[in-house]
Amino acid sequence: MYSFIGKRSIRKDALPKTSGTIKFVNDLEAPGMLIGRILRSPYAFADIRRIDASEAERLGVVVLTPDDIPQKPFNPRLVSIHEVTYKDTYVLTKKPRYVGDAIAAVAAPSEELAQRAIESIRIEYERIYEPILDPFKAMEPGAPLIHERIMKGSEWVNVERNMAATLNYVEGDVDKAFRESDIVIERRFKTGKRYHMQLEPKSVLCIPEPGGKLTIYATTQTIHNTRILVSQIFDIPLSKVNVVKVPIGGSFGSSIQVNYLVPIAVALCLKSGKPVKISYTREEDILDHSNFVFHFRMKIGARRDGVLMGAEFENILDVGAHQVQPYPLLGTSLGWFVSMYKWRNIRYISKAVYTNKVPACALRGYGAPEVQWAVETMMDELAEELKIDPIELRLKNYVGRGEIFWGQGPTVKSVIKSDGVPELLEKGRKLIGWEKRSHPSRKKGRYRRGIGLARGFHTSGAGGPISGEVIDYTGCILKLNEDGTLDYITALQDHGGGTLDAHVKIISEVLGVPPELVNLATASTENTPYDVCTHASRGTYAGGEAARRAAEIVRSKIFEYAARIVGRVVNPEAFKIKYDEELKQAIVYVEGTDIKIPLSEIARIAWQKNWGTIGAFVSYRATSAPPSFTVYFVEVEVDTWTGKVRPIRVIAGADVGTLVNPDMVEGQLHGGFAMAWGMTFTENTVYEENGELAGRGLITDYKIPTITDMPTPEDFIVITADTYEPTGPFGAKGLGEAAMNPAVGAIANAIYNAIGVRFYELPITPDKIVKALRERGEIP
Amino acid sequence: MLVRFRLNGRDIELDVPSNETLIDTLRLRLKVKSVKRGCERGECGSCTILLDGRPVTSCMLLTPQVNGRDVVTVEGLEGDPLFNQLVKSFIDNGAVQCGFCTPGILLTAWAAIRENRFRSMDDVARYLGNLCRCTGYIKIAKAVWNVASGVRK
Repeated sequence: MYSFIGKRSIRKDALPKTSGTIKFVNDLEAPGMLIGRILRSPYAFADIRRIDASEAERLGVVVLTPDDIPQKPFNPRLVSIHEVTYKDTYVLTKKPRYVGDAIAAVAAPSEELAQRAIESIRIEYERIYEPILDPFKAMEPGAPLIHERIMKGSEWVNVERNMAATLNYVEGDVDKAFRESDIVIERRFKTGKRYHMQLEPKSVLCIPEPGGKLTIYATTQTIHNTRILVSQIFDIPLSKVNVVKVPIGGSFGSSIQVNYLVPIAVALCLKSGKPVKISYTREEDILDHSNFVFHFRMKIGARRDGVLMGAEFENILDVGAHQVQPYPLLGTSLGWFVSMYKWRNIRYISKAVYTNKVPACALRGYGAPEVQWAVETMMDELAEELKIDPIELRLKNYVGRGEIFWGQGPTVKSVIKSDGVPELLEKGRKLIGWEKRSHPSRKKGRYRRGIGLARGFHTSGAGGPISGEVIDYTGCILKLNEDGTLDYITALQDHGGGTLDAHVKIISEVLGVPPELVNLATASTENTPYDVCTHASRGTYAGGEAARRAAEIVRSKIFEYAARIVGRVVNPEAFKIKYDEELKQAIVYVEGTDIKIPLSEIARIAWQKNWGTIGAFVSYRATSAPPSFTVYFVEVEVDTWTGKVRPIRVIAGADVGTLVNPDMVEGQLHGGFAMAWGMTFTENTVYEENGELAGRGLITDYKIPTITDMPTPEDFIVITADTYEPTGPFGAKGLGEAAMNPAVGAIANAIYNAIGVRFYELPITPDKIVKALRERGEIP
Repeated sequence: MLVRFRLNGRDIELDVPSNETLIDTLRLRLKVKSVKRGCERGECGSCTILLDGRPVTSCMLLTPQVNGRDVVTVEGLEGDPLFNQLVKSFIDNGAVQCGFCTPGILLTAWAAIRENRFRSMDDVARYLGNLCRCTGYIKIAKAVWNVASGVRK
């Protein structure tokens, strides 16, 4: 039985958040700071001849043009190892490649003056090209090259047919497998270009310090990679760049990379010698990054008894105008696919392709929601063709306990040790009333209900026994204060999901110190060990394990001090520590004796007797990236007249090992489902032929779910599996992305079950539904 | 131009340009940072304030429009029993995640409960128009309804 883990508790940042006193980057100010604004390209693809900023300079503002910038390409996201990091981006450009590409920037004492200065800059264009918005057209011979030369690691490489990166993979003999299959299904899928719509628009504040040092406050999931990238671009030693961790107003991958405004603010700060702050407007935030568009072709073969024989997967990724690590996404897409079902024979062809659109970065799931939607759609079709129950077909073929799991692509493999899939499917089947589910042909009338199922997973981090192409390690510092309280310092970020509260609970569990006495200390790059990024659902799993290890080190040192105090205990290992309900603090004791000392007393004595501070410094690499399995059963109602769909009931099942924060587990599943609902029905950024976002890219045209779109709390049931992950802290795994990944597939399968139509292109807007029903003569 | 209004019970007198938005006056001049800049188009609700007791987005108001009126932010509801109940309900129900939308949602809910607009859970879903990207609204709906239904009893 745990004292803290698994208990509902109040998150440490709850009150600062409800009172609005918590400070996000845009809430920060520095004395004498300038406000930066960015001049963005109105053209999707052009060459600039001349930038005339003389008027701006007359206004007395600091002006930055491409000539002021180090001519070194970079990739804003550092996660792959150097050799496979593709670099095509400059801080500012003379060759804009999408509407919104940054050309120049200014900094002024007020935002208004900065904006006036931006509007006074005149750009003369050498040539304006027809934008390329379709990745297949981009690959046609003779298509103009969006980038001619990019850097891969330290080498310059020529770009061919606009392909940013490629990855192919073969296992077994797929052609033979298809010949030996009783049934072969082939489908094409396309997703929307979604935008994260995290509530906080990205911001940065860069402050010059004495001695040429910089302090940077940035909206980011990774303070360390922000520091490294700034150091690389501007050739400043790491010891002179300090990036401070600031609370983040939601992320979902939107700040997995170093946002473009960071190096711009740094350059303005270096040029002016003054603090510079830049905060995006919401529309600029949309122009900063959105998601990849996935074009899939999937072909799967199976025997009549439901055994899968082989699969072919073609993946064309529309990466937009710049690379934000699409290469690892080619790998993870394959990883998600391979780890869903035992295909036995695989052929994978993938290409990441440039287009003149907003650069694409990760969005919650890094391709998994897309791949799992497509795979689960096909599994449903296969089950129907084979007349096998969809649950049975999945149980027969899924990759589970004891099998190899491709955590994050072909170089991140580990063995599955905890698996709650059968349990979740069984519980969900009962709760949704699976047996009562009827065939779509039996549904009539205007409102039709359907039940759909999909399963999936996400990794917990990207660790593994072997060092592959992905960097993944973390660390923390834990120290015992002179009164028995603790300071915990980590570079990991809390995006809102309560990750760091999970760490605190883990520490509390080991040391018996209640969470309210564990301080989540201010963290920056100069006082934390390296952490790659709070991404890949690794916060609780990898970061939590680092915290647990630190707490264990601290515990053994506490026992050494306890042994000094209590002379008659021969071996410090005889001590135990626990939370004392009466004293409301940790006590150190020896079982079966009257020896019992409050931890605060040990800490006080150690201080007064000059024994020194007890602390731990941990740098930790997880040797596994275990899957957190999730299962969704969804019931929807389709209004066949309007094409509008509403959720009736949702059963969200998660296998996250030990539940550290039950409230937060539920919160992730609720939020994950909401995001999946948006991905299924509304979310897409649409481009005009000239490469502009339709409707001038206003946020008012990008509809995310509101409270009205969700089921009521009684109709949203969360179930969890009774599993224990041996490699995780107290048996825990991650959840952030798994919470969403299979939900789109479940919703889509529910739509099919309601109206008998499958959709292969997202979002499934009402007009698509009405059109499909009209074509089939179901409605006038 | 000269503008006078009440902010959280305090009299404010300011000389502002006629085109200044209330969100900028609050955040930049008066340093009220609980009013979050989320979209500046009246879409997300993160900058919600109470104007004469009704929730409105401060990004869609020019400061001169609030001349002679009463403006309240979460700072002004500190100590208010209903507000404290709401905060407690949000915290106990796990309705707080990243916290960016939270002050705006609390204000909207507070005003609606005061005006007795939440007679059922459906009312909560109809009235709470603020955007939240983290929670899927489920725990928010629950937290708000817990208070609203308790107040009605």
